[in-house]
Amino acid sequence: MIVLDSVFKFFAEKKAVDNLSFKAKEGEIIGFLGPNGAGKTTTMRLILGYLKPTKGKISINNQDPIENRVEVLKNCGYLPENNPLYQEMKVREYLDFVGKIKKAKNLEEVINNVGLTEVVNKKIEELSRGYKQRVGLAAALLGNPKILILDEPTSGLDPIEQDKIKSLIKKIAKNKIVIFSTHILSEVEEIATRLIIINKGQIVYDGKKPKEKGGVEKLFKRLVKN
Amino acid sequence: MKTVIKKELDFYLNNPIGYIVVVLFAIFVNFFYIKDVFVSSVVSIKSLFNILPWFLMIFIPALSMRIFTEEKRLNTIEVLLTLPITEKTIVLGKFFALLILYGISLALTLGFVIFLFIFSKLSLIEVLVGYLGEILFGASLISLSIYISNKTKNQLIAFFISLLSIFFLIVISSEFMGSVLPRIVIDNLIYFSPVYHLQNFINGVITLKSLVYFLSVTLLFLFLTINDLKKRD
Repeated sequence: MIVLDSVFKFFAEKKAVDNLSFKAKEGEIIGFLGPNGAGKTTTMRLILGYLKPTKGKISINNQDPIENRVEVLKNCGYLPENNPLYQEMKVREYLDFVGKIKKAKNLEEVINNVGLTEVVNKKIEELSRGYKQRVGLAAALLGNPKILILDEPTSGLDPIEQDKIKSLIKKIAKNKIVIFSTHILSEVEEIATRLIIINKGQIVYDGKKPKEKGGVEKLFKRLVKN
Repeated sequence: MKTVIKKELDFYLNNPIGYIVVVLFAIFVNFFYIKDVFVSSVVSIKSLFNILPWFLMIFIPALSMRIFTEEKRLNTIEVLLTLPITEKTIVLGKFFALLILYGISLALTLGFVIFLFIFSKLSLIEVLVGYLGEILFGASLISLSIYISNKTKNQLIAFFISLLSIFFLIVISSEFMGSVLPRIVIDNLIYFSPVYHLQNFINGVITLKSLVYFLSVTLLFLFLTINDLKKRD
């Protein structure tokens, strides 16, 4: 379980996260929405212990992600924003590197599931954006983590690639906590079981996604524009 | 740690830049040493050990300038720091990878030394202690350069700050500084120079003071780098 309790994050004078509290349970796929600069990436980084909260408490399976960083990260898979990768490495080399650190036993399974078999011996820099995104996702899935944090997993992809990534997320999400951020509101309607909308570092909505088509967009526009 | 060492070594060994830096180092060091031996007609290993610091002043910053700057520039540091691996393992992995590369480069200076050892009267102890000194000397400079590389996203800035820092550390024990600064300042400053401590090894003597100096400098900058990486601001 992920618990954020009154979390604040300041960068110098700027408040990036403002009194954020929520809990996430196994089996939930949380669509994390917000305009640019709302604090989505910062929140994800805080959950993973990449950033330290200025105030407040975060616990991942009852462990502090700063104090027990390595233990916490054993159960986490992360696809960072813009998907930074070691471009000079071959796909297998990179996944092998991440897999060894995570002590993962599912390398071949992940390569197959994510659809990387045919490019596994290519250099990452030679891949299309869609394949690069799959490599990032594959790295996040190594070690079969219970928590998946995906920061804009379909960003910059064409609609076909987007569909592939969405199907993948749905397929792998069982018995996990998945938190994904996106600007594509229809994605949330398709994949998420829960919706959190954040604006200026504060949660403005936390609950079920609206059932009607286009409901997420209407809700988002209403809450964020005000 | 082996995984990080392998990743770093693979980068240099799969990249022409790694080979270029190592081969240029070997060519220049061997050339200047062999030239020296022929000009002076005195067979000694000391001239090799004495010229090495000047080459290392360029070689080590060139080798280590990308070690953290590229991680930061491309944001792969976020990938590393969100994997279940300690900051200590990351820093030590990178340090040992660079030390291995430095060791390989140093080994490329052995050819002529072995030749001299077979055909003249080189003292084995002098050679071994000298190389030990150069390894310790290099380790401390690598540690310093890694620390500097972690302070910036720009490889060139990392290179020049490392180069200038090493240059300063080398020249504080030089005769030139002795003639410029007051005696009392030099007498105190000289202990901070790795070249001053290297001289003991070059003379075939391992002193506790110099051993402690090299280990302290190496550990200090590794510790500072680990500490910087642990900051989560």
